[in-house]
Amino acid sequence: MVSRTVAKDIITLRGSAAIVSEFFGYAANSILYNRGVYPEESFVKVKKYGLPMLLTQDDGVKSFISNLNAQLSEWLEAGKLQRVVLVIMSKATGEVLERWNFSIETDNEVVEKGVSREKSDKEIMREIQAIMRQIASSITYLPCLDEPCVFDVLAYTDKDVAVPFTWIESDAKLIANPQMVKLHSFDTKIHKVDTLVSYKNDDEWEEQ
Amino acid sequence: MEDVEVQVLDPETEFLASKRETGNEWELFKENVRPLKRGRNVSVLNDALKAHTQNQLKKSLLEERRRLIEAIDEYQGDDPLHPWIQCVKWIQEAFPSAGDSSGLVLIYEQCVRTFWHSDRYKDDFRYLKVWLEYADNCIDAQIIYTFLDANDIGKTHAAYYIAYALHLESKSKMKAANEILNLGISRSAQPIEKLRDAYKKFLLRSMKMQNANNNEDSMENNNASVRSFGTVLAGEENRRQTTENSNLAKKLLKPEQVQRAPLSVYNDRNVDTIGQNSKLKTNFNPWQTLGTRAERNKENNSIPAKWTSYKVPQRPGPRAGGSTTQGACIQVFVDEECSESKTGTETESGRTSSLQLREMDGKNIKKETELLRENPLRNFPSKSLPR
Repeated sequence: MVSRTVAKDIITLRGSAAIVSEFFGYAANSILYNRGVYPEESFVKVKKYGLPMLLTQDDGVKSFISNLNAQLSEWLEAGKLQRVVLVIMSKATGEVLERWNFSIETDNEVVEKGVSREKSDKEIMREIQAIMRQIASSITYLPCLDEPCVFDVLAYTDKDVAVPFTWIESDAKLIANPQMVKLHSFDTKIHKVDTLVSYKNDDEWEEQ
Repeated sequence: MEDVEVQVLDPETEFLASKRETGNEWELFKENVRPLKRGRNVSVLNDALKAHTQNQLKKSLLEERRRLIEAIDEYQGDDPLHPWIQCVKWIQEAFPSAGDSSGLVLIYEQCVRTFWHSDRYKDDFRYLKVWLEYADNCIDAQIIYTFLDANDIGKTHAAYYIAYALHLESKSKMKAANEILNLGISRSAQPIEKLRDAYKKFLLRSMKMQNANNNEDSMENNNASVRSFGTVLAGEENRRQTTENSNLAKKLLKPEQVQRAPLSVYNDRNVDTIGQNSKLKTNFNPWQTLGTRAERNKENNSIPAKWTSYKVPQRPGPRAGGSTTQGACIQVFVDEECSESKTGTETESGRTSSLQLREMDGKNIKKETELLRENPLRNFPSKSLPR
Protein backbone atom coordinates (compact mmCIF):
# COMPACT_ATOMS: atom_id res chain seq x y z
CA MET A 1 0.00 0.00 0.00
CA VAL A 2 1.70 3.13 -1.17
CA SER A 3 0.29 6.54 -0.53
CA ARG A 4 1.65 9.95 -1.21
CA THR A 5 0.79 11.40 2.09
CA VAL A 6 1.82 9.24 4.97
CA ALA A 7 -0.47 9.89 7.85
CA LYS A 8 1.75 10.71 10.75
CA ASP A 9 0.73 10.86 14.33
CA ILE A 10 2.01 13.19 16.95
CA ILE A 11 4.20 11.53 19.50
CA THR A 12 4.83 13.15 22.81
CA LEU A 13 7.49 12.23 25.31
CA ARG A 14 4.92 10.73 27.56
CA GLY A 15 3.31 8.84 24.74
CA SER A 16 6.60 7.48 23.59
CA ALA A 17 7.54 6.41 27.10
CA ALA A 18 4.24 4.60 27.33
CA ILE A 19 4.83 2.82 24.04
CA VAL A 20 8.29 1.67 25.07
CA SER A 21 7.36 0.46 28.51
CA GLU A 22 4.31 -1.31 27.17
CA PHE A 23 6.51 -2.93 24.55
CA PHE A 24 8.82 -4.13 27.24
CA GLY A 25 5.96 -5.67 29.20
CA TYR A 26 4.75 -7.66 26.22
CA ALA A 27 8.25 -8.61 25.17
CA ALA A 28 9.04 -9.85 28.67
CA ASN A 29 5.90 -11.97 28.70
CA SER A 30 6.72 -13.35 25.31
CA ILE A 31 10.22 -14.28 26.38
CA LEU A 32 9.01 -15.94 29.56
CA TYR A 33 6.54 -17.94 27.55
CA ASN A 34 8.77 -18.92 24.65
CA ARG A 35 11.71 -19.85 26.80
CA GLY A 36 9.60 -21.89 29.11
CA VAL A 37 10.47 -19.97 32.26
CA TYR A 38 6.87 -20.39 33.32
CA PRO A 39 4.57 -23.18 32.16
CA GLU A 40 2.51 -22.64 29.04
CA GLU A 41 -0.74 -23.14 30.87
CA SER A 42 -0.12 -20.08 32.98
CA PHE A 43 -0.41 -17.77 29.99
CA VAL A 44 -3.43 -16.36 28.24
CA LYS A 45 -3.68 -15.14 24.68
CA VAL A 46 -4.52 -11.56 23.85
CA LYS A 47 -4.34 -9.51 20.70
CA LYS A 48 -1.73 -6.85 20.51
CA TYR A 49 0.42 -5.36 17.77
CA GLY A 50 -1.71 -7.35 15.33
CA LEU A 51 -0.38 -10.58 16.77
CA PRO A 52 -1.58 -13.12 19.28
CA MET A 53 0.47 -12.24 22.33
CA LEU A 54 0.71 -14.23 25.51
CA LEU A 55 0.36 -12.70 28.93
CA THR A 56 1.03 -14.41 32.21
CA GLN A 57 -1.75 -15.07 34.65
CA ASP A 58 0.63 -15.55 37.52
CA ASP A 59 -0.15 -12.77 39.99
CA GLY A 60 3.38 -12.42 41.20
CA VAL A 61 4.81 -12.02 37.73
CA LYS A 62 1.98 -9.76 36.65
CA SER A 63 2.49 -7.31 39.45
CA PHE A 64 6.24 -7.45 39.07
CA ILE A 65 5.98 -6.49 35.43
CA SER A 66 3.41 -3.77 35.94
CA ASN A 67 5.46 -2.15 38.69
CA LEU A 68 8.43 -2.43 36.41
CA ASN A 69 6.57 -0.72 33.61
CA ALA A 70 5.56 2.15 35.81
CA GLN A 71 9.15 2.70 36.84
CA LEU A 72 10.46 2.39 33.31
CA SER A 73 7.92 4.94 32.09
CA GLU A 74 9.10 7.36 34.68
CA TRP A 75 12.71 6.96 33.71
CA LEU A 76 11.92 7.12 30.04
CA GLU A 77 10.06 10.38 30.44
CA ALA A 78 13.03 11.80 32.24
CA GLY A 79 15.26 10.52 29.46
CA LYS A 80 17.34 8.65 31.98
CA LEU A 81 16.91 5.07 30.89
CA GLN A 82 19.73 3.59 28.83
CA ARG A 83 19.05 -0.09 28.83
CA VAL A 84 16.74 -2.73 30.15
CA VAL A 85 17.92 -6.31 30.33
CA LEU A 86 15.88 -9.38 31.06
CA VAL A 87 18.18 -12.00 32.51
CA ILE A 88 17.37 -15.68 32.59
CA MET A 89 19.24 -17.73 35.17
CA SER A 90 19.38 -21.31 36.25
CA LYS A 91 17.28 -21.79 39.34
CA ALA A 92 19.65 -24.34 40.77
CA THR A 93 22.97 -22.63 40.20
CA GLY A 94 22.09 -18.99 39.55
CA GLU A 95 24.20 -19.08 36.43
CA VAL A 96 23.17 -16.58 33.76
CA LEU A 97 22.05 -18.48 30.70
CA GLU A 98 20.47 -15.83 28.54
CA ARG A 99 20.20 -12.06 28.35
CA TRP A 100 17.63 -10.10 26.40
CA ASN A 101 19.06 -6.66 26.03
CA PHE A 102 16.95 -3.68 25.05
CA SER A 103 19.06 -0.58 24.48
CA ILE A 104 17.43 2.80 24.42
CA GLU A 105 18.56 5.97 22.71
CA THR A 106 16.62 9.01 23.75
CA ASP A 107 16.27 12.19 21.77
CA ASN A 108 17.39 14.62 24.40
CA GLU A 109 16.03 17.63 22.66
CA VAL A 110 12.57 16.33 23.30
CA VAL A 111 13.30 15.81 26.94
CA GLU A 112 14.81 19.20 27.41
CA LYS A 113 12.48 21.28 25.34
CA GLY A 114 9.28 19.32 25.55
CA VAL A 115 8.70 19.27 21.80
CA SER A 116 6.92 16.44 20.13
CA ARG A 117 7.65 14.39 17.08
CA GLU A 118 5.69 12.83 14.28
CA LYS A 119 5.58 9.29 13.14
CA SER A 120 2.87 7.00 11.96
CA ASP A 121 1.58 4.81 14.78
CA LYS A 122 1.08 2.02 12.31
CA GLU A 123 4.71 2.19 11.33
CA ILE A 124 5.79 1.87 14.93
CA MET A 125 3.45 -1.02 15.43
CA ARG A 126 4.86 -2.76 12.39
CA GLU A 127 8.37 -2.38 13.72
CA ILE A 128 7.38 -3.77 17.09
CA GLN A 129 5.57 -6.61 15.40
CA ALA A 130 8.75 -7.58 13.58
CA ILE A 131 10.64 -7.74 16.85
CA MET A 132 7.96 -9.85 18.53
CA ARG A 133 8.03 -12.27 15.65
CA GLN A 134 11.76 -12.59 15.95
CA ILE A 135 11.57 -13.26 19.66
CA ALA A 136 9.17 -16.11 19.03
CA SER A 137 11.34 -17.51 16.26
CA SER A 138 14.51 -17.37 18.26
CA ILE A 139 14.10 -20.91 19.43
CA THR A 140 15.67 -21.72 16.08
CA TYR A 141 19.10 -21.04 17.47
CA LEU A 142 18.78 -20.64 21.22
CA PRO A 143 19.96 -23.49 23.40
CA CYS A 144 17.40 -25.63 25.08
CA LEU A 145 16.69 -24.54 28.65
CA ASP A 146 15.87 -27.86 30.13
CA GLU A 147 16.26 -26.96 33.75
CA PRO A 148 14.03 -24.75 35.89
CA CYS A 149 14.90 -21.10 35.36
CA VAL A 150 14.19 -17.80 37.00
CA PHE A 151 14.35 -14.31 35.55
CA ASP A 152 15.37 -10.91 36.70
CA VAL A 153 15.34 -7.45 35.21
CA LEU A 154 18.26 -5.06 35.16
CA ALA A 155 17.89 -1.40 34.31
CA TYR A 156 20.80 0.73 33.25
CA THR A 157 20.20 4.39 33.98
CA ASP A 158 22.09 7.63 34.12
CA LYS A 159 24.39 7.97 37.07
CA ASP A 160 22.39 10.68 38.69
CA VAL A 161 19.32 8.56 39.16
CA ALA A 162 18.47 7.61 42.71
CA VAL A 163 17.86 3.95 43.31
CA PRO A 164 14.15 3.47 43.87
CA PHE A 165 12.92 1.80 47.00
CA THR A 166 12.20 -1.64 45.60
CA TRP A 167 15.34 -1.87 43.52
CA ILE A 168 18.90 -2.70 44.48
CA GLU A 169 22.23 -2.08 42.87
CA SER A 170 23.74 -5.08 41.26
CA ASP A 171 26.52 -6.36 39.13
CA ALA A 172 25.91 -6.64 35.43
CA LYS A 173 25.28 -10.39 35.38
CA LEU A 174 27.10 -10.84 32.13
CA ILE A 175 27.68 -14.03 30.23
CA ALA A 176 31.27 -14.95 29.54
CA ASN A 177 32.00 -15.41 25.82
CA PRO A 178 28.43 -15.04 24.74
CA GLN A 179 26.91 -15.73 21.39
CA MET A 180 25.06 -12.59 20.37
CA VAL A 181 22.30 -11.99 17.90
CA LYS A 182 20.98 -8.62 16.99
CA LEU A 183 17.27 -8.44 16.34
CA HIS A 184 15.24 -5.65 14.77
CA SER A 185 14.83 -2.24 16.31
CA PHE A 186 11.97 0.17 16.60
CA ASP A 187 11.94 3.91 16.78
CA THR A 188 9.29 6.31 18.01
CA LYS A 189 11.45 9.23 16.93
CA ILE A 190 11.84 10.02 20.59
CA HIS A 191 13.12 6.70 21.84
CA LYS A 192 14.97 4.23 19.69
CA VAL A 193 15.07 0.68 21.01
CA ASP A 194 17.64 -1.87 19.85
CA THR A 195 17.17 -5.49 20.72
CA LEU A 196 19.91 -8.03 21.30
CA VAL A 197 19.92 -11.50 22.73
CA SER A 198 23.04 -13.07 24.11
CA TYR A 199 23.36 -16.63 25.23
CA LYS A 200 25.85 -19.14 26.51
CA ASN A 201 27.83 -21.25 24.14
CA ASP A 202 26.95 -24.48 25.79
CA ASP A 203 28.78 -27.64 24.93
CA GLU A 204 26.41 -30.50 25.45
CA TRP A 205 29.08 -32.95 24.35
CA GLU A 206 31.03 -32.59 27.55
CA GLU A 207 29.80 -34.22 30.71
CA GLN A 208 27.62 -31.88 32.79
CA MET B 1 14.05 -7.98 42.77
CA GLU B 2 15.09 -5.33 40.36
CA ASP B 3 18.56 -3.95 39.98
CA VAL B 4 20.11 -0.69 38.89
CA GLU B 5 23.55 -0.32 37.40
CA VAL B 6 25.58 1.70 34.97
CA GLN B 7 28.04 -0.09 32.72
CA VAL B 8 30.66 0.95 30.28
CA LEU B 9 32.04 -1.64 27.90
CA ASP B 10 30.66 -5.12 27.88
CA PRO B 11 30.45 -7.42 24.89
CA GLU B 12 26.85 -6.55 24.24
CA THR B 13 27.30 -2.81 24.22
CA GLU B 14 30.30 -3.26 22.04
CA PHE B 15 28.33 -5.39 19.63
CA LEU B 16 25.54 -2.86 19.43
CA ALA B 17 27.92 0.02 19.04
CA SER B 18 29.73 -1.69 16.22
CA LYS B 19 26.50 -1.58 14.25
CA ARG B 20 27.20 -5.11 13.04
CA GLU B 21 24.09 -6.63 11.70
CA THR B 22 23.13 -10.21 12.14
CA GLY B 23 21.82 -11.72 8.95
CA ASN B 24 18.17 -12.57 8.72
CA GLU B 25 18.38 -15.95 7.12
CA TRP B 26 17.72 -17.71 10.39
CA GLU B 27 14.35 -16.07 10.62
CA LEU B 28 13.42 -16.36 6.97
CA PHE B 29 14.19 -20.06 6.80
CA LYS B 30 13.37 -21.08 10.32
CA GLU B 31 11.14 -23.93 9.23
CA ASN B 32 14.14 -25.66 7.77
CA VAL B 33 16.18 -25.60 10.90
CA ARG B 34 16.16 -28.41 13.37
CA PRO B 35 16.86 -26.94 16.79
CA LEU B 36 19.84 -28.24 18.68
CA LYS B 37 19.83 -28.70 22.40
CA ARG B 38 23.05 -26.82 22.72
CA GLY B 39 21.81 -23.98 20.52
CA ARG B 40 23.41 -22.86 17.30
CA ASN B 41 25.94 -20.37 16.21
CA VAL B 42 23.86 -17.90 14.27
CA SER B 43 26.47 -16.85 11.75
CA VAL B 44 27.25 -20.48 10.88
CA LEU B 45 23.52 -21.07 10.62
CA ASN B 46 23.00 -18.12 8.35
CA ASP B 47 25.79 -19.24 6.07
CA ALA B 48 24.41 -22.75 5.96
CA LEU B 49 21.01 -21.43 5.03
CA LYS B 50 22.47 -19.16 2.39
CA ALA B 51 24.22 -22.14 0.88
CA HIS B 52 20.92 -23.29 -0.47
CA THR B 53 20.96 -20.60 -3.08
CA GLN B 54 24.61 -19.74 -3.32
CA ASN B 55 26.66 -22.38 -5.03
CA GLN B 56 29.95 -21.06 -3.85
CA LEU B 57 28.89 -21.48 -0.26
CA LYS B 58 27.46 -24.89 -0.98
CA LYS B 59 30.71 -26.06 -2.52
CA SER B 60 32.68 -24.84 0.41
CA LEU B 61 30.32 -26.62 2.80
CA LEU B 62 30.87 -29.88 1.00
CA GLU B 63 34.58 -29.24 0.95
CA GLU B 64 34.59 -28.70 4.68
CA ARG B 65 32.66 -31.88 5.25
CA ARG B 66 35.13 -33.80 3.14
CA ARG B 67 37.99 -32.26 5.05
CA LEU B 68 36.53 -33.28 8.40
CA ILE B 69 36.01 -36.81 7.19
CA GLU B 70 39.60 -36.95 5.99
CA ALA B 71 40.67 -35.69 9.38
CA ILE B 72 39.09 -38.76 10.88
CA ASP B 73 41.29 -41.00 8.77
CA GLU B 74 44.42 -38.99 9.25
CA TYR B 75 44.12 -38.51 12.99
CA GLN B 76 47.28 -39.45 14.81
CA GLY B 77 46.52 -38.47 18.36
CA ASP B 78 45.47 -40.62 21.25
CA ASP B 79 41.76 -39.92 21.17
CA PRO B 80 40.43 -41.29 17.92
CA LEU B 81 36.88 -40.44 18.86
CA HIS B 82 37.66 -36.74 18.84
CA PRO B 83 37.70 -36.09 15.07
CA TRP B 84 34.43 -38.00 14.74
CA ILE B 85 32.81 -35.72 17.31
CA GLN B 86 34.16 -32.64 15.56
CA CYS B 87 32.67 -33.91 12.34
CA VAL B 88 29.29 -34.65 13.89
CA LYS B 89 29.08 -31.26 15.55
CA TRP B 90 29.97 -29.51 12.36
CA ILE B 91 27.47 -31.39 10.23
CA GLN B 92 24.76 -30.57 12.75
CA GLU B 93 25.52 -26.88 12.42
CA ALA B 94 26.17 -26.79 8.71
CA PHE B 95 23.19 -28.84 7.64
CA PRO B 96 20.57 -27.34 9.88
CA SER B 97 17.65 -29.24 8.46
CA ALA B 98 19.40 -32.50 9.35
CA GLY B 99 17.68 -34.01 6.39
CA ASP B 100 18.38 -37.35 4.86
CA SER B 101 20.96 -35.91 2.49
CA SER B 102 23.09 -34.37 5.17
CA GLY B 103 24.88 -37.60 5.92
CA LEU B 104 24.32 -37.08 9.62
CA VAL B 105 22.70 -40.46 10.21
CA LEU B 106 25.47 -42.12 8.27
CA ILE B 107 28.17 -40.56 10.29
CA TYR B 108 26.43 -41.47 13.54
CA GLU B 109 26.23 -45.03 12.35
CA GLN B 110 29.81 -45.28 11.20
CA CYS B 111 31.07 -43.68 14.35
CA VAL B 112 29.25 -46.03 16.65
CA ARG B 113 30.19 -49.01 14.56
CA THR B 114 33.85 -48.06 14.63
CA PHE B 115 34.07 -48.10 18.40
CA TRP B 116 31.42 -50.44 19.65
CA HIS B 117 33.88 -53.09 20.76
CA SER B 118 36.32 -50.62 22.24
CA ASP B 119 36.61 -50.76 26.01
CA ARG B 120 38.06 -47.32 26.10
CA TYR B 121 34.89 -45.56 25.08
CA LYS B 122 32.38 -47.67 26.92
CA ASP B 123 31.98 -44.99 29.53
CA ASP B 124 32.78 -42.04 27.36
CA PHE B 125 29.96 -39.53 27.47
CA ARG B 126 30.58 -38.28 23.95
CA TYR B 127 30.39 -41.78 22.55
CA LEU B 128 27.13 -42.38 24.37
CA LYS B 129 25.77 -39.14 22.98
CA VAL B 130 26.44 -40.26 19.44
CA TRP B 131 24.48 -43.43 20.14
CA LEU B 132 21.62 -41.47 21.69
CA GLU B 133 21.46 -39.04 18.80
CA TYR B 134 21.51 -41.98 16.42
CA ALA B 135 18.64 -43.51 18.36
CA ASP B 136 16.68 -40.28 18.06
CA ASN B 137 16.90 -40.58 14.33
CA CYS B 138 15.61 -44.11 14.12
CA ILE B 139 12.11 -45.29 13.72
CA ASP B 140 12.35 -47.80 16.53
CA ALA B 141 15.35 -47.31 18.74
CA GLN B 142 14.59 -50.27 20.99
CA ILE B 143 17.27 -52.38 19.44
CA ILE B 144 19.82 -49.67 20.07
CA TYR B 145 19.04 -49.46 23.76
CA THR B 146 19.13 -53.21 24.06
CA PHE B 147 22.46 -53.23 22.29
CA LEU B 148 23.89 -50.61 24.61
CA ASP B 149 22.70 -52.55 27.59
CA ALA B 150 24.12 -55.83 26.34
CA ASN B 151 27.47 -54.22 25.66
CA ASP B 152 27.67 -52.16 28.85
CA ILE B 153 27.93 -48.94 26.93
CA GLY B 154 27.10 -45.74 28.76
CA LYS B 155 25.77 -47.43 31.86
CA THR B 156 27.43 -44.93 34.18
CA HIS B 157 25.62 -41.99 32.62
CA ALA B 158 22.22 -40.70 33.63
CA ALA B 159 21.57 -39.68 30.05
CA TYR B 160 21.35 -43.31 28.96
CA TYR B 161 18.63 -44.19 31.45
CA ILE B 162 16.71 -41.00 30.83
CA ALA B 163 16.68 -41.50 27.08
CA TYR B 164 15.80 -45.17 27.35
CA ALA B 165 12.99 -44.49 29.80
CA LEU B 166 11.57 -41.78 27.57
CA HIS B 167 11.63 -44.18 24.68
CA LEU B 168 9.75 -46.80 26.69
CA GLU B 169 7.33 -44.19 27.94
CA SER B 170 6.56 -43.17 24.40
CA LYS B 171 5.46 -46.74 23.81
CA SER B 172 3.38 -46.67 26.98
CA LYS B 173 5.62 -49.18 28.67
CA MET B 174 5.38 -47.41 31.96
CA LYS B 175 6.52 -50.26 34.15
CA ALA B 176 9.60 -50.85 32.08
CA ALA B 177 10.41 -47.16 32.04
CA ASN B 178 10.03 -47.11 35.80
CA GLU B 179 12.42 -50.04 36.12
CA ILE B 180 15.00 -48.45 33.90
CA LEU B 181 15.04 -45.21 35.84
CA ASN B 182 15.33 -47.08 39.08
CA LEU B 183 18.12 -49.18 37.65
CA GLY B 184 20.02 -46.05 36.80
CA ILE B 185 19.50 -44.64 40.27
CA SER B 186 20.61 -47.85 41.91
CA ARG B 187 23.74 -47.77 39.78
CA SER B 188 24.40 -44.16 40.82
CA ALA B 189 24.58 -43.00 37.25
CA GLN B 190 25.90 -39.46 36.95
CA PRO B 191 24.77 -36.77 37.25
CA ILE B 192 22.49 -38.40 39.81
CA GLU B 193 20.45 -35.27 40.46
CA LYS B 194 19.42 -35.08 36.86
CA LEU B 195 18.34 -38.69 36.97
CA ARG B 196 16.34 -38.22 40.14
CA ASP B 197 14.73 -35.15 38.70
CA ALA B 198 13.79 -37.00 35.54
CA TYR B 199 12.33 -39.78 37.65
CA LYS B 200 10.18 -37.35 39.61
CA LYS B 201 8.84 -35.83 36.45
CA PHE B 202 8.18 -39.27 35.03
CA LEU B 203 6.17 -40.20 38.11
CA LEU B 204 4.14 -37.03 37.83
CA ARG B 205 3.34 -37.75 34.23
CA SER B 206 2.38 -41.32 34.85
CA MET B 207 0.15 -40.29 37.71
CA LYS B 208 -1.58 -37.75 35.55
CA MET B 209 -2.05 -40.36 32.92
CA GLN B 210 -3.45 -42.81 35.41
CA ASN B 211 -5.86 -40.26 36.84
CA ALA B 212 -7.08 -39.34 33.43
CA ASN B 213 -7.53 -42.97 32.50
CA ASN B 214 -9.52 -43.69 35.59
CA ASN B 215 -12.11 -41.12 34.69
CA GLU B 216 -15.33 -42.40 33.23
CA ASP B 217 -15.38 -39.29 31.07
CA SER B 218 -15.36 -39.36 27.33
CA MET B 219 -12.48 -39.14 24.91
CA GLU B 220 -12.36 -35.42 25.51
CA ASN B 221 -10.94 -35.78 28.94
CA ASN B 222 -8.47 -38.33 27.80
CA ASN B 223 -7.50 -36.18 24.90
CA ALA B 224 -6.71 -33.40 27.28
CA SER B 225 -4.43 -35.63 29.28
CA VAL B 226 -2.89 -36.92 26.10
CA ARG B 227 -2.22 -33.41 24.94
CA SER B 228 -0.67 -32.29 28.17
CA PHE B 229 1.30 -35.50 28.28
CA GLY B 230 2.76 -34.62 24.93
CA THR B 231 3.46 -31.08 26.02
CA VAL B 232 5.11 -32.00 29.28
CA LEU B 233 7.22 -34.64 27.66
CA ALA B 234 8.28 -32.24 24.97
CA GLY B 235 9.21 -29.70 27.60
CA GLU B 236 11.23 -32.31 29.35
CA GLU B 237 13.19 -33.60 26.44
CA ASN B 238 13.21 -30.91 23.90
CA ARG B 239 10.25 -28.70 23.58
CA ARG B 240 11.03 -28.05 19.98
CA GLN B 241 11.30 -31.57 18.72
CA THR B 242 7.95 -31.31 17.16
CA THR B 243 8.30 -34.47 15.13
CA GLU B 244 8.86 -36.46 18.22
CA ASN B 245 6.01 -34.63 19.89
CA SER B 246 3.52 -35.39 17.21
CA ASN B 247 4.71 -38.97 17.07
CA LEU B 248 4.15 -39.24 20.77
CA ALA B 249 0.73 -37.69 20.51
CA LYS B 250 -0.18 -40.11 17.77
CA LYS B 251 1.14 -43.09 19.60
CA LEU B 252 -0.68 -42.14 22.75
CA LEU B 253 -4.00 -41.34 21.19
CA LYS B 254 -4.63 -44.86 20.03
CA PRO B 255 -4.34 -46.43 23.46
CA GLU B 256 -7.10 -44.09 24.57
CA GLN B 257 -9.38 -45.33 21.86
CA VAL B 258 -8.83 -48.92 22.75
CA GLN B 259 -9.68 -47.99 26.28
CA ARG B 260 -13.28 -47.68 25.32
CA ALA B 261 -13.22 -51.39 25.37
CA PRO B 262 -13.26 -52.34 29.04
CA LEU B 263 -9.54 -52.36 29.57
CA SER B 264 -7.64 -49.59 31.26
CA VAL B 265 -4.26 -48.72 29.88
CA TYR B 266 -2.54 -49.89 33.00
CA ASN B 267 -3.52 -53.46 32.44
CA ASP B 268 -0.23 -53.90 30.78
CA ARG B 269 -1.03 -56.09 27.88
CA ASN B 270 2.46 -55.58 26.60
CA VAL B 271 4.86 -57.73 28.45
CA ASP B 272 7.01 -55.17 30.12
CA THR B 273 10.25 -56.97 29.79
CA ILE B 274 12.95 -54.95 28.26
CA GLY B 275 13.92 -55.81 24.76
CA GLN B 276 11.08 -58.00 23.73
CA ASN B 277 10.52 -56.46 20.43
CA SER B 278 8.34 -59.18 19.08
CA LYS B 279 5.63 -58.36 21.58
CA LEU B 280 5.03 -55.22 19.69
CA LYS B 281 2.98 -56.96 17.12
CA THR B 282 0.60 -58.50 19.59
CA ASN B 283 -0.29 -55.32 21.42
CA PHE B 284 -2.64 -52.55 20.55
CA ASN B 285 0.14 -50.36 19.32
CA PRO B 286 -1.40 -48.64 16.37
CA TRP B 287 1.62 -48.81 14.21
CA GLN B 288 1.13 -52.30 12.97
CA THR B 289 3.78 -51.54 10.45
CA LEU B 290 6.19 -50.97 13.30
CA GLY B 291 5.69 -54.50 14.45
CA THR B 292 6.19 -55.78 10.99
CA ARG B 293 9.33 -53.76 10.59
CA ALA B 294 10.65 -55.12 13.83
CA GLU B 295 10.15 -58.57 12.49
CA ARG B 296 11.88 -57.73 9.27
CA ASN B 297 14.70 -56.19 11.22
CA LYS B 298 15.26 -59.41 13.07
CA GLU B 299 15.74 -61.30 9.86
CA ASN B 300 18.07 -58.73 8.46
CA ASN B 301 20.13 -58.69 11.61
CA SER B 302 21.11 -62.28 11.30
CA ILE B 303 22.48 -61.76 7.83
CA PRO B 304 24.00 -58.32 7.90
CA ALA B 305 25.03 -56.77 4.65
CA LYS B 306 28.59 -55.63 4.77
CA TRP B 307 29.06 -52.13 3.64
CA THR B 308 31.43 -53.10 0.85
CA SER B 309 28.96 -55.32 -0.89
CA TYR B 310 26.65 -52.44 -1.47
CA LYS B 311 27.54 -51.32 -4.93
CA VAL B 312 27.45 -47.63 -5.44
CA PRO B 313 26.72 -46.86 -9.06
CA GLN B 314 29.21 -44.22 -10.04
CA ARG B 315 28.06 -41.35 -12.10
CA PRO B 316 31.01 -40.31 -14.27
CA GLY B 317 32.16 -36.74 -14.27
CA PRO B 318 31.07 -33.85 -12.15
CA ARG B 319 27.52 -32.75 -12.31
CA ALA B 320 26.67 -29.27 -13.46
CA GLY B 321 27.14 -27.04 -10.51
CA GLY B 322 24.07 -24.97 -11.05
CA SER B 323 21.43 -27.64 -11.21
CA THR B 324 19.77 -28.36 -7.99
CA THR B 325 17.05 -30.81 -7.11
CA GLN B 326 17.36 -33.06 -10.08
CA GLY B 327 16.93 -36.27 -8.17
CA ALA B 328 13.59 -37.91 -7.67
CA CYS B 329 13.78 -37.07 -4.01
CA ILE B 330 13.06 -33.50 -3.15
CA GLN B 331 15.27 -32.30 -0.40
CA VAL B 332 14.40 -28.71 0.23
CA PHE B 333 17.66 -27.60 1.53
CA VAL B 334 20.81 -29.39 1.04
CA ASP B 335 21.62 -31.21 -2.07
CA GLU B 336 25.02 -32.66 -2.64
CA GLU B 337 25.63 -32.76 -6.33
CA CYS B 338 29.39 -32.77 -6.23
CA SER B 339 30.13 -36.35 -7.01
CA GLU B 340 33.28 -37.31 -5.28
CA SER B 341 35.56 -39.60 -7.21
CA LYS B 342 36.09 -43.11 -6.01
CA THR B 343 39.24 -43.64 -4.04
CA GLY B 344 39.61 -47.05 -5.56
CA THR B 345 40.16 -49.05 -2.41
CA GLU B 346 38.02 -52.01 -1.52
CA THR B 347 37.32 -51.55 2.11
CA GLU B 348 36.28 -53.51 5.14
CA SER B 349 34.01 -51.97 7.66
CA GLY B 350 35.91 -50.14 10.32
CA ARG B 351 38.45 -47.40 10.00
CA THR B 352 38.26 -46.97 6.30
CA SER B 353 34.51 -46.80 6.30
CA SER B 354 34.77 -43.06 6.34
CA LEU B 355 36.04 -43.26 2.78
CA GLN B 356 32.74 -44.70 1.79
CA LEU B 357 31.01 -41.70 3.26
CA ARG B 358 33.03 -39.54 0.95
CA GLU B 359 32.16 -41.57 -2.08
CA MET B 360 28.51 -41.22 -1.62
CA ASP B 361 26.57 -38.87 -3.71
CA GLY B 362 23.38 -37.21 -2.64
CA LYS B 363 20.98 -39.92 -3.65
CA ASN B 364 22.87 -42.73 -2.01
CA ILE B 365 23.25 -40.86 1.22
CA LYS B 366 19.51 -40.54 1.30
CA LYS B 367 18.91 -44.16 0.52
CA GLU B 368 21.33 -45.44 3.09
CA THR B 369 19.96 -43.05 5.67
CA GLU B 370 16.47 -44.41 5.13
CA LEU B 371 17.71 -47.96 5.45
CA LEU B 372 19.53 -47.14 8.65
CA ARG B 373 16.54 -45.40 10.15
CA GLU B 374 14.57 -48.56 9.77
CA ASN B 375 17.27 -50.94 10.78
CA PRO B 376 19.96 -49.15 12.75
CA LEU B 377 22.22 -52.12 13.33
CA ARG B 378 22.08 -53.53 9.85
CA ASN B 379 25.78 -53.15 9.24
CA PHE B 380 26.87 -54.68 12.47
CA PRO B 381 28.41 -58.15 12.48
CA SER B 382 25.84 -60.68 13.54
CA LYS B 383 27.80 -61.93 16.51
CA SER B 384 27.61 -58.52 18.13
CA LEU B 385 23.86 -58.33 18.15
CA PRO B 386 21.83 -58.94 21.25
CA ARG B 387 19.73 -62.05 21.14
